[in-house]
Amino acid sequence: MADHVLTLKHFFEEARAGRLTGIRCGKCGELAIPPKEFCPTCQERNWAPVPLGGAGSITSFTVIRVAPRGRGAEAPYAVAVVRLDEGVSLLGRIVDIPFDSLRADLPVRFRPIVTGEQTAIGFGPA
Amino acid sequence: MRRVAVIGVGVTKFGKHDRTSAELFAEAAGDAIRDADVAPSAIQALYYGNVTGGEGEKQLHMGPLAATLLGIPTIPTTRFENACATSHAAFRHAVMEIGAGVSDIVMVGGAERVLNIPTDAATEYFAYCSDASWEQSVGLTFPGVFALIARAHMDKHGTTEEQMAHVAVKNHRHGVLNPKAQFRKEITVDMVLKSAYVADPLKLLDCCPFTDGGAAVVLAAEEVARKRPRSVWVLGTQAASDTMFMHEKRDLSRVMATERAAAAVYRQAGKTPADVDVVELHDCFTIAEIVATEGLGFFEPGLGGVAAEKGWTSLGGKIPVNPSGGLKAKGHPIGATGAGQIAEITTQLRGEAGPRQVEGARTGLTHTLGGNTATVLVSLFGRG
Ligand SMILES: [Zn+2]
Repeated sequence: MADHVLTLKHFFEEARAGRLTGIRCGKCGELAIPPKEFCPTCQERNWAPVPLGGAGSITSFTVIRVAPRGRGAEAPYAVAVVRLDEGVSLLGRIVDIPFDSLRADLPVRFRPIVTGEQTAIGFGPA
Repeated sequence: MRRVAVIGVGVTKFGKHDRTSAELFAEAAGDAIRDADVAPSAIQALYYGNVTGGEGEKQLHMGPLAATLLGIPTIPTTRFENACATSHAAFRHAVMEIGAGVSDIVMVGGAERVLNIPTDAATEYFAYCSDASWEQSVGLTFPGVFALIARAHMDKHGTTEEQMAHVAVKNHRHGVLNPKAQFRKEITVDMVLKSAYVADPLKLLDCCPFTDGGAAVVLAAEEVARKRPRSVWVLGTQAASDTMFMHEKRDLSRVMATERAAAAVYRQAGKTPADVDVVELHDCFTIAEIVATEGLGFFEPGLGGVAAEKGWTSLGGKIPVNPSGGLKAKGHPIGATGAGQIAEITTQLRGEAGPRQVEGARTGLTHTLGGNTATVLVSLFGRG
């Protein structure tokens, strides 16, 4: 119950190695992105980790042209909400896809973005 | 619960200032106390809103600071932070304090100062109101949040960049009529469409500005307020939240917290959208106004853009939205914005809004959205 197999730290360590991990509710089957204590659907506290394949498609996207401090050199860059094939979504940086080919429903695949100690979610071509 | 009314309002000029946020609040609060015609010592508590003071001014513990500058340093104070909905959240709690019979007269307000820091630093601090692990980590900005919403709304409803531009044009036209507004000049649809992209499909003139400013309102219990003919009654005030994560939003073309808070406040006040005469809502980006007019029940989903284009939300239209100029033209000092909206609706319902007056307005609504659409407050106000 409380060994927190999926803390944010663990999630991003796995992601750094190219693996996405979700959590599935042992009572109602709800799939979620960790961490979460109680299931928002059935209120149970009984999650188990499940691997996610990393394939999905774009729900919505934008090209950020005015960046926060420290990211000016990265701009412009695209960010998208991606619905994974298993049914949960993740926000990620889009890499190696031209801006003008971005559209809703475009298939993409998870790719970690590793910068020093930091890992962030990215998506590249399917 | 006892009935609660707004008995005094004060707002600084919105724009660039060379005073601290606490000084800006004190000016607004001083004006609100004079407007309420109460002694400063009659204020029994302060609910204070500020967001970026820790980062931009190296200043926390702002409640007692604000009370100290006001000359009433011994009253209880609490500082609120709910992203851009900060002082509207403070307002709800102040209403509950009076409603519960704890205090009779309470000050609510907030202030923000960001034009003293570089734009990229302010963009970074504002992004702290989205999630650090999932959103800041990929460089999502606030224009980016609303760009994701805009794209989803365009895909689902056929909303156009031109319709969004009409929101900016309308709010600038209103802002010309407001002496406190940051921008008092008209713009055209063509100017909006030709301005540079900030986060596609949103362009510079789809975005509200960074703003310094303060706003305050004095609230009072029925026993105090009913002796004052300019009192404006709080008919209802509700807050709602939604998941903090953009990746968990059920439908990116909607703001679920707006819909939840609106349903709750209409129920609390016994009103419907058709009863509302004037609205101040959260147009941090043009698409935000379109989605809010739908979520608040003024238009069917997908018609918010059409409403802007056809002038239904202009002064003189079916349901005037943001006669103050809104966040777009009046400005958006985030900690002060909710209190500023409440001050405007109070002024409208008193019939004191001058050239931007909505004729005969009896019922008004304020709507303030926080951050990545995870916080929304909606309140209803009325005369008599
Ligand atoms: Zn469950």
